[in-house]
Amino acid sequence: MSTAITDAATVTRVPVTGKEKRLLRHAMMPHMLCPGCGHGIILDAMLSVLSERYDNLDNVAFVAGIGCSSRIIGYIDACTLHTTHGRPLSFATGLKLARPELTVIVITGDGDGLSIGGNHLIHAARRNIDLTCVLLNNEIYGMTGGQAAPTTVLGAYTTTTPQGNTQHSFDAAELAKAAGATFVARAQSYRPQVFGEVFGQALDHVGFSFIEVMSDCTEYFGRTNRFGGGADMLMSQARYEPSIDADLARRPTVEPIADAQPVRPVLPTGLLYRSSRLTLEETMGIKGARSSEVNETGQYSTDQGRDA
Amino acid sequence: MTKATDRFTDPSPDQTAQPPDNSLASSAEPAPARSSKERNPLGELKGNMVLAGVGGQGIITASNTISFACMQAGLDVKKSEVHGMSQRGGTVVSHLRFGPEVHSVMLEPEQAEWILGFEWEEGLRFLEYLKPGGVAFVSTERRIPPTAQADRRGGRVDYALESAPPDGVVPIDTYAIAGDAALERPAIAQTVLLGALSVEMGLPVEIWKEAIAATVPPKTVEANLVAFENGRSWYKRWKQDTAGSKGQTVLQANGSKKSYESIPGSGGGKAVDASRTTIEAWRGGIPKVEIVRDWCKGCNICVAVCPERVLSLDRFDIAVASNPDRCTGCGLCARLCPDMAIEIWLDVPTHLGASTE
Ligand SMILES: Cc1ncc(C[n+]2csc(CCOP(=O)(O)OP(=O)(O)O)c2C)c(N)n1
Ligand code: SF4
Ligand code: SF4
Ligand code: SF4
Repeated sequence: MSTAITDAATVTRVPVTGKEKRLLRHAMMPHMLCPGCGHGIILDAMLSVLSERYDNLDNVAFVAGIGCSSRIIGYIDACTLHTTHGRPLSFATGLKLARPELTVIVITGDGDGLSIGGNHLIHAARRNIDLTCVLLNNEIYGMTGGQAAPTTVLGAYTTTTPQGNTQHSFDAAELAKAAGATFVARAQSYRPQVFGEVFGQALDHVGFSFIEVMSDCTEYFGRTNRFGGGADMLMSQARYEPSIDADLARRPTVEPIADAQPVRPVLPTGLLYRSSRLTLEETMGIKGARSSEVNETGQYSTDQGRDA
Repeated sequence: MTKATDRFTDPSPDQTAQPPDNSLASSAEPAPARSSKERNPLGELKGNMVLAGVGGQGIITASNTISFACMQAGLDVKKSEVHGMSQRGGTVVSHLRFGPEVHSVMLEPEQAEWILGFEWEEGLRFLEYLKPGGVAFVSTERRIPPTAQADRRGGRVDYALESAPPDGVVPIDTYAIAGDAALERPAIAQTVLLGALSVEMGLPVEIWKEAIAATVPPKTVEANLVAFENGRSWYKRWKQDTAGSKGQTVLQANGSKKSYESIPGSGGGKAVDASRTTIEAWRGGIPKVEIVRDWCKGCNICVAVCPERVLSLDRFDIAVASNPDRCTGCGLCARLCPDMAIEIWLDVPTHLGASTE
């Protein structure tokens, strides 16, 4: 008969997960996000990557705007800068130019980064400032009560679109790429490992790195669109679910919109685009900044040539 | 069940004179060329079986062992194998037929006297091949392919292990029965199934031992023989214990969650232990789940994503590890918990040279 190979007195505890917890501000926990909110999964995934790379986050600065998404930096034991709505990239630009040796990570939401802060996003991308911007896209304004965001897809319900959204939405990743970002990726809260992968690459990349993360607002987007609980929403990211469409169609007030997309469109994920250009620090001649040369000679090879 | 299979072990002329109920089974009147049959009392044996499991479990070796044993007994044997994605944990299935003379190699549903299931779900999946009254020896070992985990969802999948197995299924905790050697070489555990099969098949034990020695890797002969003996004696005891009581029918009627474990001699709830030892060997430690109750908000994500159904919500809507022994340490729940309320670690025995990082 087999016997247990362990004995309580002689075991060593080897963590499988949880190493990232040492980077939390424990006094602040539990965090304020709603049950099942996807932002929490991304916070955990981000800290997992950072815990592999850094002993402490003294040289990492998080900058965020306003919103549930932006709020997550309040739980990270790093230098954090909670700024005004839509302007985290502006604050971050100033910070990075003054302290080019810092690793600057901007956390923003789809409302924060694409509507009130949309202008700042495209200009940060245009300038190719060397920082990493993570945009948590939950397709809604979560913090203020579920209003439609520029990422709310056609047909989706929010508190401001009770008849279904009648406007087209942004593809944030395409927008950033077109504006000049040199690293563009998309991830999902459903697959935190994929996020971790692209987040690590984004930190290595010299230039404006943009990651759009599909996240879930269970409290508003989930409830108004009848997606079910956090677990159901998470699963619905995994695959296109006909049942969700069918449920929407049963609502009597909605006239089908001619070219309506499914509410959870199937989006490409992973690394979408990477190129190499001189950064803002380089074009301004700022000392102590990373050189974009490493994009070509470093641990990964670029697929686009230098064009600056 | 004993009765049903006796048909195939009883070489009375009365039996062989009947036309076979299995159209594919070999001739009722054996070919005259096989005159050795008269001298060989085993020459009348015949039977069909399906061996099913996943890649890496030693299914092909087991079918070689059985074929070898049959040939030693002077029987005709044919076997066929399908092992498409076997390298990646895919399904492997082998049809095996033996008798005085075998023509076709493939079986049709309800033609097999025996099924050897090397993996629980795979074994049950091929039950349609079992003749009424046949016996399916199915290992309680479970190997869930990673692709199935990605899409698994709460409330959808019912584990066969949790419900009573169908009639004719003998659930065998192969790891617990095989002995310690199976921890290092999982394929050894499967020889327990051959031990159980040998009780029904009617070949002398010496032939089996010879066949095992000839077909398994030389270094493992001894351990395989131990597993064979253990399986053989376990199954004899099981038959005694369940004789007359029809253990499985009783269980189907009560239908409760752990019902099959109460079959006398079936391992008495050891199924969990078997998976524990497998996991220990594979991960190098025992996975442990810890939930910070103050941080959990009861979103149900961990409950829905855990492929092993370890977690559930208690009456306060807080996650609890209600089946901690089934945790494989995959970490999925912890990575998908929005509140960082779950921590997974391995308890590694220090003598195995664990490092703290
Ligand atoms: C200048 C200004 N305008 C409006 C607001 C109100 N406000 C706070 S958060 C928010 C929306 C945030 O949405 P998003 O960035 O998508 O974050 P989420 O909460 O959805 O994660 C708005 C409009 C504000 N705080 N400041
Ligand atoms: S309102 Fe939505 S985005 Fe904000 S914490 Fe709740 S679930 Fe998350
Ligand atoms: S995923 Fe986390 S917060 Fe949600 S029920 Fe499980 S332990 Fe609680
Ligand atoms: S680590 Fe354990 S409890 Fe968590 S999902 Fe995996 S098997 Fe389930």
